[in-house]
Amino acid sequence: MSTTRGSDHSTLGFLTVRQHLELGYMGGFLLVNSLARPLEFHCTLPVKPTRAQSILYGPTLVDYLCGEQIARTLVSKAKLQPVVLFTDSPAVLSLRNLSEIPICCVSSMEGVGASRDLPLPHSQNLGVAVGELNGHKIVVNGAHREDWEFVFQRRDELLQQLDLLEPFTRIVEALQEAHPASKAA
Amino acid sequence: MDMLASILGGSAGFQADGNLPQEIGFADLPFRASWNIEGFATGWQSQIGRDIKIETSVFQAEKVDVSSIAIKIPQPKIHTLSFDFPESPQWQLAAQAKPQASGSAGAVPSSPVSNAPRSNVANSITRIRPPKDLVKLEDRLYYVLQPPLETLVSNAKLDFAFQPFPYQFEGIAFLFSRETAILADEMGLGKTMQAITTVRMLLLANQLRTVLLVCPKPLVTNWVREFRLWAPEIPVAVIEGDSAKRQWMWNQPGLPVRIANYELLMRDRELLQGNLHFDLVILDEAQRIKNRNSTTSEIARGISRGRSWALTGTPIENTPEDLVSIFEFLQPGHLRDGMSLKQMGQATRDHILRRTKDKVLTEMPPKLFRDAELELTSEQLATYKAAEEEGVIQLSDMGQELTIQHVFELVLRLKQICNFDPVTGASCKLERLEADLEEVAASGQKAIVFSQWVQAIDRISDVLERYNPLRYHGRIPSEKRDSVLQEFKQNPKRHVLLMSYGAGSVGLNLQFCRYVFLFDRWWNPAVEDQAINRAHRLGAAGSVTVTRMLVAGTIEERIHKVLEEKRELFNALFAEAGTPPSLGLNQADIFGLFNLKTPKAKKIA
Repeated sequence: MSTTRGSDHSTLGFLTVRQHLELGYMGGFLLVNSLARPLEFHCTLPVKPTRAQSILYGPTLVDYLCGEQIARTLVSKAKLQPVVLFTDSPAVLSLRNLSEIPICCVSSMEGVGASRDLPLPHSQNLGVAVGELNGHKIVVNGAHREDWEFVFQRRDELLQQLDLLEPFTRIVEALQEAHPASKAA
Repeated sequence: MDMLASILGGSAGFQADGNLPQEIGFADLPFRASWNIEGFATGWQSQIGRDIKIETSVFQAEKVDVSSIAIKIPQPKIHTLSFDFPESPQWQLAAQAKPQASGSAGAVPSSPVSNAPRSNVANSITRIRPPKDLVKLEDRLYYVLQPPLETLVSNAKLDFAFQPFPYQFEGIAFLFSRETAILADEMGLGKTMQAITTVRMLLLANQLRTVLLVCPKPLVTNWVREFRLWAPEIPVAVIEGDSAKRQWMWNQPGLPVRIANYELLMRDRELLQGNLHFDLVILDEAQRIKNRNSTTSEIARGISRGRSWALTGTPIENTPEDLVSIFEFLQPGHLRDGMSLKQMGQATRDHILRRTKDKVLTEMPPKLFRDAELELTSEQLATYKAAEEEGVIQLSDMGQELTIQHVFELVLRLKQICNFDPVTGASCKLERLEADLEEVAASGQKAIVFSQWVQAIDRISDVLERYNPLRYHGRIPSEKRDSVLQEFKQNPKRHVLLMSYGAGSVGLNLQFCRYVFLFDRWWNPAVEDQAINRAHRLGAAGSVTVTRMLVAGTIEERIHKVLEEKRELFNALFAEAGTPPSLGLNQADIFGLFNLKTPKAKKIA
């Protein structure tokens, strides 16, 4: 992961990967500043796993595709490096094994911040629940429990009253703008 | 054995003599084995317990090359789209700025403000949506990816002097993303505040640098005051003074907001059609350009600009063509004359935002109408009858030379008699008004009295001297008008403000008054509504009582009836089509007042 990219120490990243039953998986990555205003947005075109991938990755396919492929590509495209990356997709936690950026998965109740057309994919994730932040349950990669400490200690400076699920609503709408076919008729 | 045979398949099997083969091979396996087995003991041999003799020998398996096939799992190709949104540093500066003290003396909002606890309002989420006709994906995403307005306001510490209502946030979100828009909220819902706050946010976001606001002259000071209240950090310049000064002001760089009045546009026409460019031009009371052939409309359309907004509570005052004219400023060609109401409604749906008080302000104080049906005094009655009879006879005798102007003059003469007898000054209305005002003054309340004529206002003023009336009409110099309003508001001994419809029907905020008297009636109910809503606004201490004076059996009653029918039609059609039909009296209506035949159709305002 490149470390030469800029960061103003308050840039936050929000990354989601959603599944469309026909089109495949699509990811969106939004970088915002301390005012929650957008700085960068990156999204993927829909990705469909091949038959061989489905058979050979078996139950780890989603983690592989969402975390190691889609999320990794999106993060690599960003010019700014976020201080912390929030996701609502448990599968994205697998990215943490390949990235230095702390990652927290904000667990959402079904339907909150999600979309009927683009639901969150199921994942055999490797997350462990560690605590609550701004009223939401936080899960981190079990091999990187220090991510929780990192975020918790900086919560006042970074998050203030930010609703951690709200940016995902924006990303899902942006995905639907970018891929109109993903919107239900 | 059967099992073994089955496993060995076709390459093994019992011989016909019952002995197993002495050597077997597997076609698919790389070894061969042989053995020697004598036949099974049968008969007497088995009885003596003789073992079966089995001899085995093992052969070395043949060496076989194991070949494998590598199946490559291709990495999925991930194609991405990327968008940058460079942030304006102004947002951070605003976050550091000190907001004006809330609710400070003199900072009374003219726009309605919410009394709801901040936490309740903060819980609402207002998202900015891209307009439907915005095509470029990057532009659409810019709006889709903006945080909710409430988050933006809270994080940037854009404190408001008073907490806006959720519907006002909706209005701001609507304007924020639109290059062409009409904010057509009913009077009193805070169009001014919504426009100013949106301008403030767009300036902070570096989406705008120069804004020109055009409004009627009497409202200039109101706009300046409102900018100070809702966007204290934004410098505002009023274009005024002699030609040289105005030219300097028009060309002065670094002025984010300029305010000019409509009359001034005429005088500075050449300058405006020169090299001046504005990122946004806002027309307040945009019905002023409803006649697209007027010079004002022509000049407004000629101003070089990026965005165009129109603010008006009455986008259609008389006919749907009024709206076509406003759109000629916003987006020429978008509407055409002759479009059906339905077509017009569809074409304008994404460009017009209109809310009414009954829909959005459930906590609005009630507005109580009281029609005071009066009888003319004997002096008035005699004069009225003579004037009407004589007038109708004259009109009938005119034959083909009869024009609407002739009829109109008679209507005006009769209306004036309903106000005052021209000879004796007797007035049934004034008698009633005096009586009502006694109660108003005794309870420490204040009232506004509207009339169409300055002469009538002067007469009323003389009679109501004991209530210390103030006058506000077209003949009061504009620089003195603000002080009149301040005096009325602050001096508890001033119980009555006498206003003309022309000067006092728009933009003023007199929500501390609980009584409104319409001494005579205007031609168009939209104008009457504007007048009433000076007092009936949020922030009013309680209900507002509107007394509409009406002399029975006269021209006033006939006009009232026609207007009420039109209002009903408006309500029915506006709900269905989203655009109202004609509201005012047209030529046929006026001729109909005296049962005269209409010559050629020509509408009046």
